[in-house]
Amino acid sequence: MQHPKISRFIRQRCCTLLGVGPMSRNCVDAAIEISNQHDVPLFLVASRQQIDAEEFGGGYVNGWTTAEFARYIQENDSKGGIILARDHGGPWQNNHEVRQKHSLRQAMESAKRSYKADIEAGFEFIHIDPSTDIWGEPCIDEVLARVFELYEHCWAAAKRKNKDIFFEIGAEKQSGDIGALDEVDYMLSKMRTFCRKNHFKFPSFVVVQTGTKVAEMKNIGSLGTPFRVAHELPVEIQLPKLVDICNRNNIFLKQHNTDYLNDDTLSFYPKLGIHSANVAPEFGTRETLALLDLFDKFGLAALKERFLRLALDSGKWDKWMLPETAAGDLEKAVIAGHYVFSSPAFAAIKEELEKKLKGKIPGVDRYLTEDIKKGLMRYLRNFRLLGLEHL
Amino acid sequence: MKRAAVIIINRNLPEVTDRLRQFIKSSDGDVADVFVIESGSDPDKLSRYHTWWANWEESVAQGLRTPRGFNYALSRLLEENRFKDYDFFFLLPNDAEFEGPGAVKRLMKEMELHPRLGILAPCAKTWGEYRLLGKNVTKYFWYISPGPWFFRRQYIEDVMERDSPDHMNFLYDGTNFRGYESNIELIAKGYANDWGSAITTKVMVQENESYLKTRAEVIKTDPYETNMLKYVEEGKKWLRRKYGFNNRWTLQMYSKFFYEKFFDYYPGLKKYRI
Repeated sequence: MQHPKISRFIRQRCCTLLGVGPMSRNCVDAAIEISNQHDVPLFLVASRQQIDAEEFGGGYVNGWTTAEFARYIQENDSKGGIILARDHGGPWQNNHEVRQKHSLRQAMESAKRSYKADIEAGFEFIHIDPSTDIWGEPCIDEVLARVFELYEHCWAAAKRKNKDIFFEIGAEKQSGDIGALDEVDYMLSKMRTFCRKNHFKFPSFVVVQTGTKVAEMKNIGSLGTPFRVAHELPVEIQLPKLVDICNRNNIFLKQHNTDYLNDDTLSFYPKLGIHSANVAPEFGTRETLALLDLFDKFGLAALKERFLRLALDSGKWDKWMLPETAAGDLEKAVIAGHYVFSSPAFAAIKEELEKKLKGKIPGVDRYLTEDIKKGLMRYLRNFRLLGLEHL
Repeated sequence: MKRAAVIIINRNLPEVTDRLRQFIKSSDGDVADVFVIESGSDPDKLSRYHTWWANWEESVAQGLRTPRGFNYALSRLLEENRFKDYDFFFLLPNDAEFEGPGAVKRLMKEMELHPRLGILAPCAKTWGEYRLLGKNVTKYFWYISPGPWFFRRQYIEDVMERDSPDHMNFLYDGTNFRGYESNIELIAKGYANDWGSAITTKVMVQENESYLKTRAEVIKTDPYETNMLKYVEEGKKWLRRKYGFNNRWTLQMYSKFFYEKFFDYYPGLKKYRI
């Protein structure tokens, strides 16, 4: 079952929709402004690390809880183009559940409470991804059993609150493994049986592996290059096959990890039949680079050094690095920069920066927001989300 | 009369080339003639079995690579009035290593079973397609990675240059020096002319890339990584110059479009569609 507005937009424009990771408050503002200026629906796809329910302490983005985040959007999105979406909800998708070494049952209950908060706050799209398991890799049937349990829970929660929600399923193992084709087919067939039996809506989106993978500040997947990866299907075969499977099942194909691909590749998404694509870390690093640019432009070396140290010491770059990375401290700090934007230490740096730049620029946040908007526009153009006059 | 011509391309790796030539000769010599084209090799690094030696200045300096090398061999066969002697042409890079003997015979047999096949490519165990197909299976594809390809003469005649074919234009486009997406170009031309392209797991082959990775200096070619970069950079320019395509995916869609049409015209072959 498709979201009527989204479905109509995709079909009328022959476009690819954009899911924006809310990497920071400025990033959220940029998405709202772009959506409103161009009358384009944009998903804000929040991971549980970024935004989560109050009982989990919120997320690293502006310290927002799910309810606060949703309220902020509802208050500022005057044209209602922003669609709130949970990205990778599910057990152990919040560090808290990992650190506490939750059992499966505890993690599932925790995930359910997080989803409940999403639905109550007004999230319209719910991504159910129970593929993470700190106790071992679950097989497809175990994953499906967890999907069904969470789906049922969300459906019931939405009914109780009289909310209309839509679902996204699928995980991102980030590979072009041939098993992915059979797995998608199998998953969709089981999903259809489950939905029919329970009179639930069929999911709107399925996340599939289309040869994208983000590491450091690049996309190292096979989509952007013509070289094959051993034991994997060439993306030239895999992607059209997946599009066929999705079309046959009347479900939209969602790509994750779309960051850092070049315009040549991105501009082909609508033609390839990719219905929607998520971009997240690219906007975070873009904002950090714009901030560094400000420090440089105005000769604020000491302040820049304080920020770089703060970002580097956060260690948040670690999960993004390639095993044999050649990245230096600067690159690591850029990768980690947006994770510290809501810290008190950064607030102090920013306050000083504002003072030093008073009268020289319209404001630090405005400067950064405008820069992120340029990054968003790259996707709007390539994905044919703008009117014809912009192409 | 032997029905197949096997053409091996060599550049400064005589021992590797000789080994492959001997292997083909011993297992398929009764059905195939084997030719070796020297792609600007040094005089002391020629295969002892070499048939032709492209030794003009440019070929010595940079080699002929796949497109110009195989074009040159095919054009020589035509000049020597031997092109029409063969029903099939097996174009082999010298780093091809087959799993078991009789590859040519098995490929010929498969081509006979599939009279609308223009191109047949052996599969490799390191390809995802191997798991997609399973053992002893042939299926038609809109995309096949470059490598050892078995061609039907009628296909070549349908797509080849007719006016003065030479090393620049016989089958491949020689202006596409490194052969960027030349595989898709040939497949698309095939489907557009009612010829299918397939991968078969009835013949398994592996290209031993270690020669390119570790012996680039001996081969007198660009280091592996440099070659990859130039392959894309120069190839994208070629694609734009020739077709006005800014993206390799355009060529891919072009191929897929004719692939789908092919099965409309030959519905009986749908069982071989992936």
